Amino acid sequence: MKRDGRSYVVAQVDEREVLAVVAKHEAGCGGLIAILEEIQAIYGYLPEQALRQVAQATDRSLVDIYGVSTFYRSFSMQPRGKHRVCVCLGTACHVRGAQSVTEEFEQRLGIQSGETSEDGEFSLETVNCLGACALGPVTVVDGKYVSKVKTSQVRGLLDKARKGYAQSGNGEDKEAFAIAVSCPVCSHSLMDAGFPLDDHPSIHVKVSIDHQEGCLRLSSLYGSGSLASECEIPPGEVAIFRCPHCLAELTGADDCSICQAPMAPMAIVGGGTMHVCLRRGCPGHLLDLQ
Amino acid sequence: MKLSSIEKLTEWRSVLAKKNASGKSCLCICAGTACQASGSNEIIRATKRALIERRLLDRLSLRITGCHGFCEMGPFVLTEPQQAFYTQVKAEDVPRIIDAALAGEYVEELLYKDPSTGQKYYHRGDIPFFKNQQRTILEANQKIDPIRIHDYIAEGGYRGLEKVLSVQDPVWVVEEVKKAGLRGRGGAGFPTGLKWEMLAKQRSNGGKFLVCNADEGDPGAYMDRSILEGNPHSIIEGMIIGAYGTGATSGVVYVRNEYPIAIKHLTAALQQARTLGLLGGNILGGGFSFDIEIVRGAGAFVCGEETALIRSIEGKMGEPRQRPPFPIQRGINGKPTAINNVETWANIPVIIVRGADEYAKIGTKNNSGTKIFSLVGKIRNTGLVEVPMGMTIKEIVYNIGGGPVGKAQIKAVQTGGPSGGCIPASMFDLQIDYDSLSRAGSIMGSGGMIVMDENTCMVDLAKYFMRFLKEESCGKCFTCRKGTQRMYEILDDITTGKGTLEHLDLLEELAHVVKDTTMCGLGQTSANPVLSTLRYFRDEYLAHIQNSRCPAQVCKPLLSYSINNNCIGCQACGKACSVNAIHGERKQRHFIDASKCIKCGTCRSVCKYDAVEAA
Amino acid sequence: MKGKVTVTINGLIVEVEKGMTILEAAQFLGFPIPTLCHMEGLSPYGACRLCVVEIGEGARAKLVTSCTYPVEEGLKVRTASTRVLRARKMILELLLASCPQSKIIQDLAAAHGVRQQRFRQEHEDCILCGLCVRMCEEQMMAKAIGFRNRGEKRSIGTPFDVHSETCRLCGGCMYVCPACQLRCTYNEPEKAICGGCENLTPPCIEKDPFDDMMCYMTPCVACEQPKN
Repeated sequence: MKRDGRSYVVAQVDEREVLAVVAKHEAGCGGLIAILEEIQAIYGYLPEQALRQVAQATDRSLVDIYGVSTFYRSFSMQPRGKHRVCVCLGTACHVRGAQSVTEEFEQRLGIQSGETSEDGEFSLETVNCLGACALGPVTVVDGKYVSKVKTSQVRGLLDKARKGYAQSGNGEDKEAFAIAVSCPVCSHSLMDAGFPLDDHPSIHVKVSIDHQEGCLRLSSLYGSGSLASECEIPPGEVAIFRCPHCLAELTGADDCSICQAPMAPMAIVGGGTMHVCLRRGCPGHLLDLQ
Repeated sequence: MKLSSIEKLTEWRSVLAKKNASGKSCLCICAGTACQASGSNEIIRATKRALIERRLLDRLSLRITGCHGFCEMGPFVLTEPQQAFYTQVKAEDVPRIIDAALAGEYVEELLYKDPSTGQKYYHRGDIPFFKNQQRTILEANQKIDPIRIHDYIAEGGYRGLEKVLSVQDPVWVVEEVKKAGLRGRGGAGFPTGLKWEMLAKQRSNGGKFLVCNADEGDPGAYMDRSILEGNPHSIIEGMIIGAYGTGATSGVVYVRNEYPIAIKHLTAALQQARTLGLLGGNILGGGFSFDIEIVRGAGAFVCGEETALIRSIEGKMGEPRQRPPFPIQRGINGKPTAINNVETWANIPVIIVRGADEYAKIGTKNNSGTKIFSLVGKIRNTGLVEVPMGMTIKEIVYNIGGGPVGKAQIKAVQTGGPSGGCIPASMFDLQIDYDSLSRAGSIMGSGGMIVMDENTCMVDLAKYFMRFLKEESCGKCFTCRKGTQRMYEILDDITTGKGTLEHLDLLEELAHVVKDTTMCGLGQTSANPVLSTLRYFRDEYLAHIQNSRCPAQVCKPLLSYSINNNCIGCQACGKACSVNAIHGERKQRHFIDASKCIKCGTCRSVCKYDAVEAA
Repeated sequence: MKGKVTVTINGLIVEVEKGMTILEAAQFLGFPIPTLCHMEGLSPYGACRLCVVEIGEGARAKLVTSCTYPVEEGLKVRTASTRVLRARKMILELLLASCPQSKIIQDLAAAHGVRQQRFRQEHEDCILCGLCVRMCEEQMMAKAIGFRNRGEKRSIGTPFDVHSETCRLCGGCMYVCPACQLRCTYNEPEKAICGGCENLTPPCIEKDPFDDMMCYMTPCVACEQPKN
């Protein structure tokens, strides 16, 4: 999450953060690689200071850690640009002209692949296969897959990235829609028109955490994360939801696919079930429309 | 909910199956990586919105699935039970599709049409791409939502595990796999049953490991990704069965970091299996324990090699080591370890449920079962195809793949990735199996099948693979590290017009030595792209060397661009040129300044009048 | 687990101790096998590939590095078959192109009849045999240097290219180096035998001004001067 803001500057390494990552992964298989992957996820690259701390904390030689960090391609020892362009050079993409696309990016950005432009705006990378071979040549610009790229599109892609993909709008179905739900146990509606969130009736449940209990209102807008809670739920904590009418605990068999916390099921009016992750801050949800 | 016995699982499956068999119509939308790249997320969102707002959920349901294979045509919507197959759908098409599905009708203009004949297909099964396949593994992908274990179980999932736990004989499991004749789908084709038998015989007091190799490093192959994304439980079930047969105690799935969706789905699937008591301690109350963890790779092709993979799992540099000792004897942390690839594991439940004898009937003798190929490159229908072993290349390329895209003729297919070789069109009657491919100088590999036409330069292709290999070699063996660099250097000379006939001999001599003297399988096969192109396409090499000509017009230093009389002076090329090498008045014929031209070919790709020529 | 196994080396049927490598067995019997990355007291690595021998018969015959391959019951080994010699010759030609200044490589190449240099000559001055890395770790217990990167970018050196805290400047790495120590000052690689290189002290210690006098580590462990 912290990546966006500081990936293109030399990172300030927080030793506690590094130690926490080490402690988390030390026991499992692949330990060191998992540690390095997480450090890179935090800082955008592997800062020297962090590697030295990992060496100390894991009681391994710095030579080993440096060796592993430089051996694997997904690790970067340099800070990366604000925007990341990644051209797939898989065989399928190659025979459809990925090499020319790479050269066009290099030409336009004035850098070689693997480098970052001087203004820190763009990093150009190549990857050996993204596994989207049917759509080649594939390029990933700031996490967005662009398929069947032509050299003539390159300039436009860079412009779009500069402006930010979020603002450019590319035909997405943006129209928000609200979901009305009821308790799966007593079938009472959970909608509360008297407490609107995002200009729509909110979803009202009773929440309990650490002996605290209170009312929680969730936005009924699909994709919105807004909520209003009477009791303090610290980020990362898992709460319990109850129906405000029958007081039955909202619990089901499904776990969140993002954080593995339990999810609360609610019946969608008209059919289907909505599952909401119970961990505060986790965007996990599931619309079961089968 | 924990299932405490086999009976409980059977019972629960029948409950789930009944619920699913309500006869309600359903829209299936693929959310595989390729379809997401084509915009399927927007379709899914639009569908959710329409179903909820219009309160249609009692009549129509939505299923988000993994990859169906026909990635070229994505994003698509498949309706059930109609089996109408709508291709390249946009968000605004969704309401029409829903109305048609409710009324039992079709949205005619969105149905799949054969691009050459224009014929419209109303039933998915009639489309040649699907009709000519035999989908024993991939078929499940369209029937299940990968993050819902209910779907997998309702469709008969974990029945293999049930059978194994009720027979209660590990030796029987290994014998079934042996009898089925399954060969490792990762590349070398080692008999899986034999590998398991060796593992079962190993004694170890510290446990044994099973590994699922999902480090799909071959560029151009993505079937493992699709299975992991679309049907992760089939891998988990396969591994549990394997553990029961071999006495393994822990499992590891080693998966590429480039596959985030696969990692996400697999993580969810493992958690669900654990919650239900299908994984972990005392599985289904049968007193047998096994668990699986995920290890993410960090981008190294060489980690597909067994011993390098083991080192990577141990958190070290992925350098292969000398075998013997084999991983079966000393693998992860010195414990006996058996490694199979994703597709191999996905075949295990099929073998157990259908029975070894039934399974062995698919395919040919010594090469049983089906194989998934990723049919990509210069071909009309790109995507994943699953066919029985022994099908000819011609059938795959023309009947399923639909032949070439444009006017250029198909001249070869490349199989086996960087370790494989090219098979020329004259040999397309070859029946594909492990042995025939290796006789033809290529290998099966993980199943990449890259189609090349007259616009693909084979020398350039060999150079492409050498560039790949010199970067991806671990660098330990001198001959692999330096050999691939030197082969690249020679190929680079040839493609830039500096090659001589002596170069060709040296290249061949070097290729043989690299093959002979490198330690690991990847290094030994690294010369294959050179050797196989030299074997079948020597004339292209000679054209580069003797005539300074690239017949496919790919090698830029041998090319020159010019603009002919077709030019109407639209200025499109001038605007597109990144080095300002094109001059000309508006509505006048333009000219290319050869001294500035970097031969990128952009002008040619933007010209609508065929005015830019390359020679 | 000690015992004897019977192997055939160059037609000679002999009993050797279990656990030995082919290289040890062959050397024990007096068959010469050239090698650059093997040294008694250091663990076998198998990087230079020069010690390849042919094992097995017929279609299953293959080349393996004798320094890493353990003897097995009934193993048939040929240390100097045509296939082995052809491979060694090519390896030496490759080595020579990378490190034309190494006397050891020059001498080996001459002895194996390498008479031409068909590859573009480079001055890498390191064959990445890893002797120094193993020396540093296994004998000097320092782990100051190691392999970095992979493939064509692989190199040996200290982490982050700065002086390592664990390095004691013992010079063990230079002592074992086949490419750096006893380098040949004669600059014509086609000539198989170079004269006049009896200098036993690495010239970089004397701050040699010639740029072709290399030390493969940046910065050099001895003089701590960065390359170039």
